[in-house]
Amino acid sequence: MKRTSVVQAFHSETVVISSVLQIGDSERISARTCDLAVQRQHELFFGSEGEQTFPVFTKPIPRWSFPSPITSKQTLHQSPVISARSVRVLGISSSSIVHIGSTSTVEAESRIKHIRHLDGPAPTRGRDS
Amino acid sequence: MNYTVINRDVHVSDIHLVAVASASLFLIGDADVINLSSAFDTPPESLIIGPFVPLVQVRGEES
Repeated sequence: MKRTSVVQAFHSETVVISSVLQIGDSERISARTCDLAVQRQHELFFGSEGEQTFPVFTKPIPRWSFPSPITSKQTLHQSPVISARSVRVLGISSSSIVHIGSTSTVEAESRIKHIRHLDGPAPTRGRDS
Repeated sequence: MNYTVINRDVHVSDIHLVAVASASLFLIGDADVINLSSAFDTPPESLIIGPFVPLVQVRGEES
């Protein structure tokens, strides 16, 4: 048995990149993102740069798999309502979830590769090279 | 282990968040299982100083 969520006013500006804004109960939500973020000193875009795979996009992320030490759990809802007067969220991004209501399973994964590209004479890369 | 949860009255007035990002969850309600993971990669090698050519030719990192 789950509680009822009550929110009187909700305001959000942006929901982007595989994010979810859910009002009402849900059963299962799964969100996944792979971002290649390239910042260049000058405004320049080459179209086909996302075709390469970086290790951060493929490496498996370890999951918590230990059995729960709780053998029996009892939840008593003394109040059947959980409430907020107003919620204001400016940005929801990169596999994030804003959920008003109850759910069963939530899974989210975000993988971001961030590259900064500065103008320079020689092709020296990195701090130590 | 026996575990008892008593959910009493929860009434919040105003919640103001700037951002919920990178596989995060903001939940008003109950859930059974939550599994969130985020990987952010920006090592020194990803700071490239050089001429502006596409990444495929510039990078030498193993994949």
